[in-house]
Amino acid sequence: MDTARFNVGDTLPSKTLAVTQALINEYADICGDYNTLHVDVAGMKDHPLFGGTIAHGTINVEPVLQAICTVQGTKWPSAGTKIDLQFRAPVKPGMTISSVLVVKEKKADSLICDMTIQDQDAKPCVKGTVEIK
Amino acid sequence: MEQKFNTELITNFGPDTLLPDLTFAEMQSGWDCGGGTYKITKGEVEKFARLMGDPNTGAETVPVGMIYIYGLRICWDRKVFIDQAVRAGDTITFHNPAKIGDTITTRLSIADKKEVSKEKDGQVKVTKFLYVNMSAENQDGAKIVDIVMSFMLPKTMK
Repeated sequence: MDTARFNVGDTLPSKTLAVTQALINEYADICGDYNTLHVDVAGMKDHPLFGGTIAHGTINVEPVLQAICTVQGTKWPSAGTKIDLQFRAPVKPGMTISSVLVVKEKKADSLICDMTIQDQDAKPCVKGTVEIK
Repeated sequence: MEQKFNTELITNFGPDTLLPDLTFAEMQSGWDCGGGTYKITKGEVEKFARLMGDPNTGAETVPVGMIYIYGLRICWDRKVFIDQAVRAGDTITFHNPAKIGDTITTRLSIADKKEVSKEKDGQVKVTKFLYVNMSAENQDGAKIVDIVMSFMLPKTMK
C-alpha cells in the first residue's frame, strides 16, 4: 500500500455496524454458532453477568475488517496485513459499534495503527493494533 | 430459535480425544485439535454481505468478515470452545483472498499456553490462558488466513 498519503496521528475512515438480535440470529444461521449466550433471548434475560444476549465476538470485529479494505482500496486485506486484538466488553443488541484506526507509525510499506472498536457512547469493546500492508 | 445453518456445507475431522478431555498439563503446543472443511457458496456470501452491509457483493472475492465463518462451527464441533472459557482475543494474519466456490480447510492446533499470577490482598491468583491456531487454506493449498485465538480458561480447569 502507498503510505505516502498518510501521516502519524491521522484517523482513518471508520465503519459502523448496528447490532440487533435479528443480525445475531442470522449470523448464527450463516456460521452455525448457536451458543445460548448469543441466541437464547429468554434464557439470557436474567444472566448475572450480561443480563441478556451478547453478540458473537467475531461480529464485534466486523467494522475494522471492512475499514481496512476501505483504506487499502481492496476487497480483501493485502497479504501480511495483521490484527492483534483483545475483547474488552460484550456487544449487546441495540448497540451501534464503529471502528477507530489512528496511525501511530508509518513504514515504507505499511501503517501501524492503534485500533478501537467502540459503542455509541465511545466505550471500547475491542482494543488492539493493526498493521495495514 | 429455529436453526437454519446448512450443515451440508461443512465436514470435520480429527482425533477422538477432544480439547476438553485434556488437563492443562496435557495441553501442549502443536497438539492436533482436528479441523474441517467449509464450502463457500454464492448464496451464503450474498447473505453475509447483505447482513454486514459489506459492499463486496456479487464479486468473486468473498466478504472479509467471512474469515471467521469457515471455522466457527468447526470449532464447536471439535469442542475447541471449552465450556466456561472466555474468548480473550485474536491475532489475525491475512494471506490470499477466499473466493466463491472454494472449499476451505481449517486446521486447529494448540499454539501455546501460559499461566499469569497476580497478587492481591496477600493472595496469589493464577489465571490460565490457552492459545489455539486456526489456519485456513483453499483446495489448492493456498493459505487464506491464520488466526490465533486466545482463551482465558475457567478456574475449574485441572
